[in-house]
Amino acid sequence: MLTKKLKIGIVCPYGWDTPGGVQNHVRDLAEFLIVSGHTVSVLAPALDDEKLPDYVVSAGKPISIPYNGAVARVLFGPIAYARVRQWIGSGDFDLLHLHEPAIPSISLLACWAAEGPMVGTFHAAAKRQKVIFAIGPILEPAIEKLSARIAVSEAARLTLTDHLETDAVVIPNGIYAKRYSDGVAQQKWSGNTIGFIGRFEEPRKGLQVLVDALPIIARFAPDVKVFVAGPGDSKDFEKEIDPQLRDRFEFLGKISEKEKADFMSSVSLYVAPNTGGESFGIILAEALAGGACVVASDIPAFDSLLGGGEFGALFESENSTELAKVVIDLLRDESKRKTLAAAGKIRSQLFDWDVVAEQILSIYEMAIVGGQGVSLSSDGRAWGRFLSRDEEKK
Amino acid sequence: MKNLLTFSFLILLGIWYLSFSATRLDRLHHRVETSWANLDVLLQKRAAIALEIAHSDLADPASSMLLTGAAYQARDADVENRSMAESGLSGALGLLIADGLPHASAPEQALLQELSVLTSKIRIAISIHTDAVSSTQMVRRKFVVKVFRLAGTAPLPVTYEFESDVL
Repeated sequence: MLTKKLKIGIVCPYGWDTPGGVQNHVRDLAEFLIVSGHTVSVLAPALDDEKLPDYVVSAGKPISIPYNGAVARVLFGPIAYARVRQWIGSGDFDLLHLHEPAIPSISLLACWAAEGPMVGTFHAAAKRQKVIFAIGPILEPAIEKLSARIAVSEAARLTLTDHLETDAVVIPNGIYAKRYSDGVAQQKWSGNTIGFIGRFEEPRKGLQVLVDALPIIARFAPDVKVFVAGPGDSKDFEKEIDPQLRDRFEFLGKISEKEKADFMSSVSLYVAPNTGGESFGIILAEALAGGACVVASDIPAFDSLLGGGEFGALFESENSTELAKVVIDLLRDESKRKTLAAAGKIRSQLFDWDVVAEQILSIYEMAIVGGQGVSLSSDGRAWGRFLSRDEEKK
Repeated sequence: MKNLLTFSFLILLGIWYLSFSATRLDRLHHRVETSWANLDVLLQKRAAIALEIAHSDLADPASSMLLTGAAYQARDADVENRSMAESGLSGALGLLIADGLPHASAPEQALLQELSVLTSKIRIAISIHTDAVSSTQMVRRKFVVKVFRLAGTAPLPVTYEFESDVL
Protein backbone atom coordinates (compact mmCIF):
# COMPACT_ATOMS: atom_id res chain seq x y z
CA MET A 1 0.00 0.00 0.00
CA LEU A 2 1.17 3.47 -0.82
CA THR A 3 1.37 5.39 2.39
CA LYS A 4 3.43 8.31 1.15
CA LYS A 5 1.53 11.10 -0.56
CA LEU A 6 2.96 11.74 -4.02
CA LYS A 7 3.37 14.70 -6.28
CA ILE A 8 2.16 13.44 -9.63
CA GLY A 9 2.32 15.11 -13.02
CA ILE A 10 -0.16 13.82 -15.58
CA VAL A 11 0.09 14.69 -19.26
CA CYS A 12 -3.01 14.56 -21.44
CA PRO A 13 -2.21 14.64 -25.16
CA TYR A 14 -5.59 15.82 -26.45
CA GLY A 15 -7.34 19.19 -26.14
CA TRP A 16 -8.90 19.47 -22.68
CA ASP A 17 -12.01 21.32 -23.89
CA THR A 18 -13.05 18.72 -26.46
CA PRO A 19 -14.93 15.66 -25.22
CA GLY A 20 -13.14 12.33 -25.50
CA GLY A 21 -12.38 9.12 -23.68
CA VAL A 22 -8.77 9.92 -22.79
CA GLN A 23 -9.66 13.39 -21.47
CA ASN A 24 -12.45 11.95 -19.29
CA HIS A 25 -10.12 9.27 -17.99
CA VAL A 26 -7.42 11.80 -17.10
CA ARG A 27 -9.95 14.09 -15.42
CA ASP A 28 -11.46 11.31 -13.32
CA LEU A 29 -8.05 9.90 -12.40
CA ALA A 30 -6.71 13.32 -11.40
CA GLU A 31 -9.77 14.06 -9.29
CA PHE A 32 -9.63 10.64 -7.63
CA LEU A 33 -5.94 11.10 -6.77
CA ILE A 34 -6.55 14.58 -5.38
CA VAL A 35 -9.37 13.30 -3.18
CA SER A 36 -7.02 10.57 -1.88
CA GLY A 37 -4.58 13.25 -0.77
CA HIS A 38 -1.99 13.28 -3.56
CA THR A 39 -0.88 16.47 -5.27
CA VAL A 40 -1.68 16.43 -8.97
CA SER A 41 -0.90 18.73 -11.86
CA VAL A 42 -2.28 17.97 -15.33
CA LEU A 43 -0.64 19.39 -18.43
CA ALA A 44 -2.96 19.51 -21.42
CA PRO A 45 -3.55 21.52 -24.57
CA ALA A 46 -6.52 23.87 -24.15
CA LEU A 47 -8.40 26.38 -26.27
CA ASP A 48 -9.60 28.50 -23.42
CA ASP A 49 -7.32 29.00 -20.41
CA GLU A 50 -10.06 30.66 -18.38
CA LYS A 51 -12.33 27.64 -17.96
CA LEU A 52 -9.73 25.15 -16.77
CA PRO A 53 -10.00 23.50 -13.34
CA ASP A 54 -7.22 24.66 -11.03
CA TYR A 55 -5.23 21.43 -11.30
CA VAL A 56 -4.88 21.79 -15.09
CA VAL A 57 -2.05 23.74 -16.71
CA SER A 58 -2.48 24.74 -20.33
CA ALA A 59 0.31 23.86 -22.76
CA GLY A 60 -1.09 26.01 -25.54
CA LYS A 61 -3.78 25.81 -28.20
CA PRO A 62 -4.26 22.39 -29.80
CA ILE A 63 -3.81 21.72 -33.52
CA SER A 64 -6.34 19.51 -35.34
CA ILE A 65 -4.88 16.64 -37.32
CA PRO A 66 -6.53 13.54 -38.77
CA TYR A 67 -5.48 10.48 -36.82
CA ASN A 68 -6.77 6.90 -36.59
CA GLY A 69 -10.01 7.69 -38.45
CA ALA A 70 -10.96 10.75 -36.44
CA VAL A 71 -9.81 14.30 -35.89
CA ALA A 72 -7.34 14.51 -33.02
CA ARG A 73 -6.60 17.77 -31.25
CA VAL A 74 -2.95 17.47 -30.36
CA LEU A 75 -0.07 19.83 -29.73
CA PHE A 76 3.62 19.84 -30.64
CA GLY A 77 6.30 22.20 -31.86
CA PRO A 78 9.19 24.12 -30.30
CA ILE A 79 7.02 26.41 -28.19
CA ALA A 80 5.04 23.49 -26.80
CA TYR A 81 8.31 21.64 -26.10
CA ALA A 82 9.67 24.61 -24.16
CA ARG A 83 6.40 24.78 -22.24
CA VAL A 84 6.60 21.06 -21.40
CA ARG A 85 10.22 21.39 -20.23
CA GLN A 86 9.31 24.34 -18.05
CA TRP A 87 6.39 22.44 -16.49
CA ILE A 88 8.60 19.44 -15.71
CA GLY A 89 11.47 21.59 -14.48
CA SER A 90 9.37 23.62 -12.08
CA GLY A 91 7.01 20.83 -11.05
CA ASP A 92 9.30 18.89 -8.70
CA PHE A 93 7.30 15.72 -9.41
CA ASP A 94 7.82 12.31 -7.84
CA LEU A 95 6.37 10.68 -10.91
CA LEU A 96 5.04 11.48 -14.38
CA HIS A 97 2.04 9.67 -15.81
CA LEU A 98 1.96 10.10 -19.60
CA HIS A 99 -1.14 9.24 -21.57
CA GLU A 100 -0.76 8.03 -25.16
CA PRO A 101 3.00 8.68 -25.39
CA ALA A 102 3.06 7.12 -28.86
CA ILE A 103 0.88 9.87 -30.32
CA PRO A 104 2.59 12.99 -31.73
CA SER A 105 1.60 15.28 -28.89
CA ILE A 106 2.86 16.67 -25.59
CA SER A 107 3.03 13.27 -23.89
CA LEU A 108 5.73 12.23 -26.33
CA LEU A 109 7.50 15.55 -25.80
CA ALA A 110 7.38 15.04 -22.04
CA CYS A 111 8.78 11.55 -22.48
CA TRP A 112 11.72 13.00 -24.41
CA ALA A 113 12.29 15.83 -21.98
CA ALA A 114 12.06 14.03 -18.66
CA GLU A 115 14.24 11.65 -16.73
CA GLY A 116 13.11 9.54 -13.78
CA PRO A 117 10.05 7.54 -12.80
CA MET A 118 7.52 7.60 -15.62
CA VAL A 119 4.42 5.54 -16.26
CA GLY A 120 2.74 5.47 -19.66
CA THR A 121 -0.84 4.53 -20.42
CA PHE A 122 -1.74 3.37 -23.92
CA HIS A 123 -5.37 3.81 -24.88
CA ALA A 124 -5.52 3.34 -28.63
CA ALA A 125 -6.16 0.09 -30.41
CA ALA A 126 -5.35 0.03 -34.10
CA LYS A 127 -4.49 -2.44 -36.76
CA ARG A 128 -0.81 -2.79 -37.58
CA GLN A 129 0.22 0.03 -39.86
CA LYS A 130 3.09 -0.06 -42.32
CA VAL A 131 4.21 3.40 -41.26
CA ILE A 132 5.47 1.96 -37.97
CA PHE A 133 8.64 0.84 -39.73
CA ALA A 134 9.43 4.48 -40.34
CA ILE A 135 8.44 5.96 -37.00
CA GLY A 136 9.39 3.02 -34.78
CA PRO A 137 13.06 3.99 -34.45
CA ILE A 138 12.02 7.48 -33.34
CA LEU A 139 9.48 6.26 -30.81
CA GLU A 140 11.48 3.38 -29.38
CA PRO A 141 14.15 5.34 -27.45
CA ALA A 142 11.41 7.48 -25.93
CA ILE A 143 8.99 4.69 -25.06
CA GLU A 144 11.71 2.59 -23.43
CA LYS A 145 12.27 5.36 -20.87
CA LEU A 146 8.94 4.52 -19.27
CA SER A 147 9.40 2.55 -16.06
CA ALA A 148 6.05 0.84 -16.52
CA ARG A 149 3.44 0.67 -19.22
CA ILE A 150 -0.30 0.31 -18.81
CA ALA A 151 -2.72 -0.69 -21.55
CA VAL A 152 -6.42 -0.02 -21.00
CA SER A 153 -7.54 -3.23 -22.68
CA GLU A 154 -6.27 -6.44 -24.19
CA ALA A 155 -6.76 -4.82 -27.62
CA ALA A 156 -4.57 -1.88 -26.66
CA ARG A 157 -1.92 -4.25 -25.28
CA LEU A 158 -1.82 -6.21 -28.53
CA THR A 159 -1.47 -2.97 -30.49
CA LEU A 160 1.49 -2.09 -28.31
CA THR A 161 3.22 -5.47 -28.65
CA ASP A 162 2.61 -5.43 -32.41
CA HIS A 163 3.88 -1.93 -32.99
CA LEU A 164 6.62 -1.43 -30.46
CA GLU A 165 7.48 -4.93 -29.30
CA THR A 166 6.99 -4.07 -25.69
CA ASP A 167 4.62 -5.49 -23.13
CA ALA A 168 2.16 -3.76 -20.82
CA VAL A 169 0.04 -4.42 -17.78
CA VAL A 170 -3.69 -4.27 -18.53
CA ILE A 171 -5.62 -1.96 -16.24
CA PRO A 172 -9.10 -0.98 -17.46
CA ASN A 173 -10.49 2.52 -17.66
CA GLY A 174 -12.36 3.63 -14.58
CA ILE A 175 -15.94 4.70 -14.00
CA TYR A 176 -17.69 6.02 -10.92
CA ALA A 177 -20.00 3.00 -10.70
CA LYS A 178 -22.05 4.45 -7.84
CA ARG A 179 -23.11 7.46 -9.90
CA TYR A 180 -24.78 5.13 -12.38
CA SER A 181 -26.24 2.58 -10.02
CA ASP A 182 -28.79 4.95 -8.45
CA GLY A 183 -30.51 6.00 -11.68
CA VAL A 184 -34.32 6.21 -11.54
CA ALA A 185 -36.32 4.54 -14.32
CA GLN A 186 -38.20 7.21 -16.29
CA GLN A 187 -41.63 6.49 -17.80
CA LYS A 188 -40.81 8.41 -21.00
CA TRP A 189 -37.90 6.11 -21.85
CA SER A 190 -39.46 2.83 -20.73
CA GLY A 191 -41.26 0.16 -22.73
CA ASN A 192 -39.94 -1.42 -25.90
CA THR A 193 -37.09 1.04 -26.16
CA ILE A 194 -33.54 1.01 -27.45
CA GLY A 195 -30.93 3.46 -26.23
CA PHE A 196 -27.83 4.80 -27.95
CA ILE A 197 -25.34 7.35 -26.61
CA GLY A 198 -22.50 8.89 -28.56
CA ARG A 199 -21.47 11.26 -31.32
CA PHE A 200 -23.87 9.67 -33.81
CA GLU A 201 -22.56 11.62 -36.79
CA GLU A 202 -19.27 9.72 -36.70
CA PRO A 203 -19.58 6.63 -38.92
CA ARG A 204 -17.47 4.48 -36.59
CA LYS A 205 -20.06 4.88 -33.81
CA GLY A 206 -22.27 2.76 -36.07
CA LEU A 207 -25.70 4.32 -35.59
CA GLN A 208 -26.28 3.59 -39.28
CA VAL A 209 -26.14 -0.14 -38.54
CA LEU A 210 -28.95 0.28 -36.03
CA VAL A 211 -30.95 2.41 -38.51
CA ASP A 212 -30.62 -0.35 -41.11
CA ALA A 213 -31.75 -2.95 -38.59
CA LEU A 214 -34.84 -1.04 -37.53
CA PRO A 215 -37.19 -2.02 -40.38
CA ILE A 216 -36.82 -5.66 -39.37
CA ILE A 217 -37.09 -4.92 -35.66
CA ALA A 218 -40.21 -2.81 -36.22
CA ARG A 219 -41.92 -5.69 -38.00
CA PHE A 220 -41.70 -7.86 -34.90
CA ALA A 221 -41.99 -5.15 -32.28
CA PRO A 222 -44.33 -2.50 -33.76
CA ASP A 223 -44.09 -0.15 -30.78
CA VAL A 224 -40.30 -0.02 -30.66
CA LYS A 225 -38.66 3.37 -30.09
CA VAL A 226 -35.03 4.41 -30.37
CA PHE A 227 -33.58 7.17 -28.19
CA VAL A 228 -30.35 8.71 -29.40
CA ALA A 229 -28.41 10.88 -26.99
CA GLY A 230 -25.21 12.71 -27.71
CA PRO A 231 -23.96 15.89 -29.34
CA GLY A 232 -24.46 16.45 -33.06
CA ASP A 233 -26.85 17.82 -35.66
CA SER A 234 -29.80 15.44 -35.87
CA LYS A 235 -31.44 17.27 -38.82
CA ASP A 236 -28.97 15.92 -41.34
CA PHE A 237 -29.10 12.45 -39.93
CA GLU A 238 -32.91 12.32 -39.89
CA LYS A 239 -33.03 13.01 -43.63
CA GLU A 240 -31.20 9.74 -44.22
CA ILE A 241 -33.77 7.69 -42.30
CA ASP A 242 -36.67 6.03 -44.11
CA PRO A 243 -39.65 8.47 -43.68
CA GLN A 244 -41.92 5.71 -42.37
CA LEU A 245 -39.55 5.01 -39.51
CA ARG A 246 -38.50 8.57 -38.79
CA ASP A 247 -40.96 8.99 -35.92
CA ARG A 248 -39.48 6.01 -34.11
CA PHE A 249 -36.28 7.94 -33.54
CA GLU A 250 -36.02 10.59 -30.91
CA PHE A 251 -32.88 12.69 -30.62
CA LEU A 252 -32.27 13.94 -27.12
CA GLY A 253 -29.12 15.96 -27.70
CA LYS A 254 -26.40 16.02 -25.07
CA ILE A 255 -27.58 14.68 -21.71
CA SER A 256 -26.15 15.21 -18.23
CA GLU A 257 -24.49 12.53 -16.09
CA LYS A 258 -27.61 12.30 -13.93
CA GLU A 259 -29.85 11.86 -16.97
CA LYS A 260 -27.44 9.26 -18.31
CA ALA A 261 -27.91 7.17 -15.15
CA ASP A 262 -31.70 7.44 -15.47
CA PHE A 263 -31.46 6.67 -19.19
CA MET A 264 -29.49 3.48 -18.59
CA SER A 265 -31.94 2.16 -16.02
CA SER A 266 -34.98 3.01 -18.18
CA VAL A 267 -34.30 1.63 -21.64
CA SER A 268 -34.98 -2.02 -22.39
CA LEU A 269 -31.80 -2.42 -24.36
CA TYR A 270 -28.65 -0.37 -24.74
CA VAL A 271 -27.15 -0.87 -28.20
CA ALA A 272 -23.52 -0.11 -29.10
CA PRO A 273 -23.11 -0.87 -32.82
CA ASN A 274 -19.61 0.66 -33.10
CA THR A 275 -17.72 -0.55 -36.14
CA GLY A 276 -14.20 -0.04 -34.82
CA GLY A 277 -11.70 2.46 -33.49
CA GLU A 278 -12.83 1.64 -29.98
CA SER A 279 -10.22 0.47 -27.54
CA PHE A 280 -12.08 0.01 -24.29
CA GLY A 281 -15.76 0.99 -24.50
CA ILE A 282 -16.23 3.07 -21.36
CA ILE A 283 -19.85 3.70 -22.38
CA LEU A 284 -20.55 -0.03 -22.10
CA ALA A 285 -19.07 -0.10 -18.59
CA GLU A 286 -21.35 2.81 -17.69
CA ALA A 287 -24.36 1.11 -19.24
CA LEU A 288 -23.65 -2.07 -17.27
CA ALA A 289 -23.24 -0.08 -14.05
CA GLY A 290 -26.57 1.60 -14.77
CA GLY A 291 -28.23 -1.80 -14.95
CA ALA A 292 -28.93 -1.79 -18.68
CA CYS A 293 -29.05 -4.91 -20.80
CA VAL A 294 -26.36 -4.33 -23.42
CA VAL A 295 -26.20 -5.38 -27.07
CA ALA A 296 -22.85 -4.62 -28.72
CA SER A 297 -20.92 -5.34 -31.89
CA ASP A 298 -18.26 -8.01 -31.55
CA ILE A 299 -15.23 -5.75 -32.05
CA PRO A 300 -12.33 -6.97 -29.83
CA ALA A 301 -12.69 -4.30 -27.12
CA PHE A 302 -16.42 -4.94 -26.62
CA ASP A 303 -16.00 -8.68 -26.84
CA SER A 304 -13.52 -8.71 -23.97
CA LEU A 305 -15.44 -6.15 -21.90
CA LEU A 306 -18.60 -8.25 -22.19
CA GLY A 307 -16.71 -11.47 -21.45
CA GLY A 308 -17.48 -12.95 -24.87
CA GLY A 309 -21.23 -12.51 -24.39
CA GLU A 310 -21.54 -13.46 -20.74
CA PHE A 311 -22.39 -9.93 -19.53
CA GLY A 312 -24.18 -8.63 -22.62
CA ALA A 313 -25.26 -9.85 -26.03
CA LEU A 314 -22.94 -9.58 -29.03
CA PHE A 315 -23.63 -9.45 -32.76
CA GLU A 316 -21.34 -9.54 -35.76
CA SER A 317 -20.03 -6.02 -36.38
CA GLU A 318 -21.70 -4.12 -39.24
CA ASN A 319 -24.24 -6.91 -39.75
CA SER A 320 -27.62 -5.21 -39.26
CA THR A 321 -29.62 -8.39 -39.88
CA GLU A 322 -27.90 -10.12 -37.02
CA LEU A 323 -28.32 -7.06 -34.82
CA ALA A 324 -32.06 -7.13 -35.56
CA LYS A 325 -32.21 -10.81 -34.67
CA VAL A 326 -30.45 -10.32 -31.33
CA VAL A 327 -32.58 -7.29 -30.46
CA ILE A 328 -35.89 -9.00 -31.29
CA ASP A 329 -34.85 -12.05 -29.33
CA LEU A 330 -34.09 -9.98 -26.25
CA LEU A 331 -37.12 -7.68 -26.52
CA ARG A 332 -39.32 -10.75 -26.37
CA ASP A 333 -37.57 -12.40 -23.46
CA GLU A 334 -37.68 -10.28 -20.34
CA SER A 335 -36.08 -12.85 -18.05
CA LYS A 336 -33.07 -13.18 -20.33
CA ARG A 337 -32.70 -9.39 -20.32
CA LYS A 338 -32.82 -9.35 -16.54
CA THR A 339 -30.23 -12.11 -16.24
CA LEU A 340 -27.80 -10.35 -18.58
CA ALA A 341 -28.31 -6.98 -16.87
CA ALA A 342 -27.74 -8.51 -13.43
CA ALA A 343 -24.53 -10.25 -14.55
CA GLY A 344 -23.41 -7.03 -16.21
CA LYS A 345 -23.96 -4.97 -13.10
CA ILE A 346 -21.65 -7.23 -11.09
CA ARG A 347 -19.11 -7.07 -13.90
CA SER A 348 -19.14 -3.27 -13.87
CA GLN A 349 -17.80 -3.19 -10.30
CA LEU A 350 -14.43 -4.25 -11.74
CA PHE A 351 -14.23 -0.90 -13.49
CA ASP A 352 -15.05 1.19 -10.45
CA TRP A 353 -12.41 3.83 -9.67
CA ASP A 354 -11.87 2.36 -6.20
CA VAL A 355 -10.61 -0.84 -7.81
CA VAL A 356 -8.89 0.69 -10.84
CA ALA A 357 -7.06 3.47 -8.97
CA GLU A 358 -5.73 0.94 -6.48
CA GLN A 359 -4.12 -0.95 -9.37
CA ILE A 360 -2.71 2.23 -10.87
CA LEU A 361 -1.26 3.26 -7.51
CA SER A 362 0.50 -0.07 -7.14
CA ILE A 363 2.14 0.57 -10.53
CA TYR A 364 3.18 4.03 -9.31
CA GLU A 365 4.66 2.41 -6.25
CA MET A 366 6.80 0.15 -8.39
CA ALA A 367 7.87 2.97 -10.67
CA ILE A 368 9.14 5.26 -7.91
CA VAL A 369 11.38 2.68 -6.22
CA GLY A 370 14.96 3.90 -6.25
CA GLY A 371 14.05 7.06 -8.14
CA GLN A 372 14.92 10.52 -6.95
CA GLY A 373 11.94 12.14 -8.61
CA VAL A 374 11.54 13.54 -12.08
CA SER A 375 14.12 15.84 -13.60
CA LEU A 376 14.92 17.24 -17.03
CA SER A 377 17.07 14.92 -19.07
CA SER A 378 20.43 16.12 -20.28
CA ASP A 379 22.32 14.40 -23.01
CA GLY A 380 25.65 15.00 -21.32
CA ARG A 381 24.80 12.48 -18.65
CA ALA A 382 26.32 9.50 -20.43
CA TRP A 383 29.57 11.37 -21.01
CA GLY A 384 29.72 12.23 -17.35
CA ARG A 385 29.22 8.60 -16.48
CA PHE A 386 31.69 7.48 -19.12
CA LEU A 387 34.44 9.74 -17.85
CA SER A 388 33.88 8.89 -14.20
CA ARG A 389 33.14 5.24 -14.76
CA ASP A 390 36.42 4.02 -13.33
CA GLU A 391 35.95 6.02 -10.17
CA GLU A 392 32.47 4.61 -9.70
CA LYS A 393 33.59 1.04 -10.09
CA LYS A 394 36.12 0.96 -7.28
CA MET B 1 37.20 23.20 -47.93
CA LYS B 2 33.73 21.94 -48.63
CA ASN B 3 34.84 18.36 -48.19
CA LEU B 4 36.38 19.21 -44.86
CA LEU B 5 33.12 20.79 -43.70
CA THR B 6 31.06 17.77 -44.70
CA PHE B 7 33.56 15.48 -43.08
CA SER B 8 33.57 17.30 -39.78
CA PHE B 9 29.79 17.46 -39.83
CA LEU B 10 29.61 13.71 -40.25
CA ILE B 11 32.10 13.24 -37.42
CA LEU B 12 30.01 15.46 -35.17
CA LEU B 13 26.86 13.58 -36.11
CA GLY B 14 28.62 10.32 -35.35
CA ILE B 15 29.74 11.55 -31.95
CA TRP B 16 26.25 12.76 -31.16
CA TYR B 17 24.80 9.39 -32.12
CA LEU B 18 27.32 7.55 -29.95
CA SER B 19 26.55 9.79 -27.03
CA PHE B 20 22.83 9.36 -27.62
CA SER B 21 23.13 5.57 -27.74
CA ALA B 22 25.28 5.52 -24.63
CA THR B 23 22.72 7.57 -22.69
CA ARG B 24 19.98 5.34 -23.92
CA LEU B 25 21.80 2.21 -22.82
CA ASP B 26 22.74 3.70 -19.49
CA ARG B 27 19.11 4.52 -18.84
CA LEU B 28 18.04 1.01 -19.79
CA HIS B 29 20.55 -0.55 -17.42
CA HIS B 30 19.24 1.70 -14.71
CA ARG B 31 15.71 0.59 -15.50
CA VAL B 32 16.67 -3.07 -15.24
CA GLU B 33 18.31 -2.43 -11.87
CA THR B 34 15.24 -0.62 -10.56
CA SER B 35 12.78 -3.21 -11.76
CA TRP B 36 14.90 -6.00 -10.30
CA ALA B 37 15.19 -4.18 -6.98
CA ASN B 38 11.42 -3.91 -7.01
CA LEU B 39 10.91 -7.57 -7.71
CA ASP B 40 13.54 -8.54 -5.17
CA VAL B 41 11.78 -6.63 -2.39
CA LEU B 42 8.46 -8.25 -3.26
CA LEU B 43 10.01 -11.72 -3.31
CA GLN B 44 11.59 -11.12 0.10
CA LYS B 45 8.19 -10.09 1.40
CA ARG B 46 6.73 -13.25 -0.01
CA ALA B 47 9.32 -15.33 1.80
CA ALA B 48 8.44 -13.51 5.03
CA ILE B 49 4.73 -14.19 4.60
CA ALA B 50 5.50 -17.80 3.73
CA LEU B 51 7.31 -18.13 7.06
CA GLU B 52 4.37 -16.60 8.85
CA ILE B 53 2.03 -19.05 7.16
CA ALA B 54 4.35 -21.91 8.03
CA HIS B 55 4.10 -20.95 11.70
CA SER B 56 0.32 -20.52 11.67
CA ASP B 57 -2.27 -23.21 12.31
CA LEU B 58 -2.88 -23.41 8.60
CA ALA B 59 0.11 -25.65 8.04
CA ASP B 60 0.41 -29.17 9.39
CA PRO B 61 3.89 -30.07 10.71
CA ALA B 62 5.02 -31.63 7.43
CA SER B 63 4.05 -28.75 5.17
CA SER B 64 5.26 -26.32 7.80
CA MET B 65 8.67 -27.93 7.57
CA LEU B 66 8.62 -27.87 3.79
CA LEU B 67 7.53 -24.25 3.68
CA THR B 68 10.01 -23.06 6.27
CA GLY B 69 12.81 -24.76 4.37
CA ALA B 70 11.74 -23.27 1.05
CA ALA B 71 11.32 -19.79 2.51
CA TYR B 72 14.78 -19.81 4.09
CA GLN B 73 16.30 -21.10 0.90
CA ALA B 74 14.64 -18.34 -1.13
CA ARG B 75 15.88 -15.73 1.31
CA ASP B 76 19.46 -16.88 1.46
CA ALA B 77 19.97 -18.09 -2.10
CA ASP B 78 22.79 -16.53 -4.09
CA VAL B 79 22.40 -15.42 -7.67
CA GLU B 80 22.92 -18.84 -9.16
CA ASN B 81 20.46 -20.69 -6.96
CA ARG B 82 17.90 -17.93 -6.68
CA SER B 83 15.77 -19.13 -9.57
CA MET B 84 15.45 -22.66 -8.24
CA ALA B 85 14.75 -21.46 -4.71
CA GLU B 86 11.95 -19.12 -5.80
CA SER B 87 10.37 -21.84 -7.94
CA GLY B 88 10.55 -24.14 -4.92
CA LEU B 89 8.80 -21.58 -2.74
CA SER B 90 6.09 -21.06 -5.37
CA GLY B 91 5.55 -24.79 -5.45
CA ALA B 92 5.39 -25.18 -1.67
CA LEU B 93 2.97 -22.27 -1.31
CA GLY B 94 0.84 -23.59 -4.15
CA LEU B 95 0.54 -26.99 -2.47
CA LEU B 96 -0.46 -25.54 0.86
CA ILE B 97 -2.98 -23.05 -0.49
CA ALA B 98 -4.63 -25.64 -2.70
CA ASP B 99 -5.71 -27.77 0.26
CA GLY B 100 -5.43 -25.30 3.14
CA LEU B 101 -7.83 -22.66 1.85
CA PRO B 102 -11.20 -24.27 2.68
CA HIS B 103 -10.57 -24.60 6.43
CA ALA B 104 -8.75 -21.39 7.23
CA SER B 105 -9.81 -19.25 10.18
CA ALA B 106 -10.16 -15.47 10.06
CA PRO B 107 -6.58 -14.40 10.86
CA GLU B 108 -5.26 -17.01 8.44
CA GLN B 109 -7.67 -15.78 5.79
CA ALA B 110 -6.16 -12.34 6.23
CA LEU B 111 -2.71 -13.83 5.78
CA LEU B 112 -3.76 -15.61 2.60
CA GLN B 113 -5.44 -12.46 1.37
CA GLU B 114 -2.17 -10.60 1.89
CA LEU B 115 -0.35 -13.29 -0.02
CA SER B 116 -2.72 -13.11 -2.97
CA VAL B 117 -2.37 -9.31 -3.17
CA LEU B 118 1.39 -9.74 -3.06
CA THR B 119 1.26 -12.43 -5.71
CA SER B 120 -0.55 -10.20 -8.18
CA LYS B 121 2.00 -7.46 -7.49
CA ILE B 122 4.83 -9.90 -8.11
CA ARG B 123 3.23 -10.85 -11.39
CA ILE B 124 3.20 -7.19 -12.48
CA ALA B 125 6.76 -6.65 -11.26
CA ILE B 126 7.91 -9.66 -13.25
CA SER B 127 6.32 -8.41 -16.44
CA ILE B 128 7.90 -4.99 -15.94
CA HIS B 129 11.28 -6.56 -15.27
CA THR B 130 11.27 -8.96 -18.21
CA ASP B 131 10.22 -6.08 -20.44
CA ALA B 132 13.12 -3.94 -19.25
CA VAL B 133 15.52 -6.83 -19.75
CA SER B 134 14.34 -7.60 -23.27
CA SER B 135 14.56 -3.96 -24.36
CA THR B 136 18.07 -3.79 -22.98
CA GLN B 137 19.08 -6.98 -24.73
CA MET B 138 17.66 -5.60 -27.97
CA VAL B 139 19.75 -2.43 -27.76
CA ARG B 140 22.83 -4.37 -26.65
CA ARG B 141 22.61 -6.39 -29.87
CA LYS B 142 22.94 -3.24 -31.98
CA PHE B 143 26.03 -2.87 -34.13
CA VAL B 144 27.31 0.45 -32.75
CA VAL B 145 26.85 -0.70 -29.20
CA LYS B 146 28.95 -3.80 -29.79
CA VAL B 147 31.68 -2.16 -31.84
CA PHE B 148 32.21 0.84 -29.58
CA ARG B 149 31.65 -1.20 -26.41
CA LEU B 150 29.09 1.30 -25.19
CA ALA B 151 27.90 -1.08 -22.52
CA GLY B 152 31.29 -0.90 -20.83
CA THR B 153 31.68 -3.52 -18.17
CA ALA B 154 27.98 -3.81 -17.31
CA PRO B 155 26.87 -7.45 -17.47
CA LEU B 156 24.19 -8.40 -19.98
CA PRO B 157 20.93 -8.55 -18.02
CA VAL B 158 19.11 -11.86 -18.07
CA THR B 159 15.69 -12.99 -16.94
CA TYR B 160 15.48 -15.76 -14.38
CA GLU B 161 13.84 -18.98 -15.28
CA PHE B 162 11.38 -18.85 -12.40
CA GLU B 163 9.92 -15.69 -13.86
CA SER B 164 8.21 -17.48 -16.68
CA ASP B 165 6.58 -20.20 -14.61
CA VAL B 166 6.17 -18.54 -11.22
CA LEU B 167 2.85 -18.49 -9.41
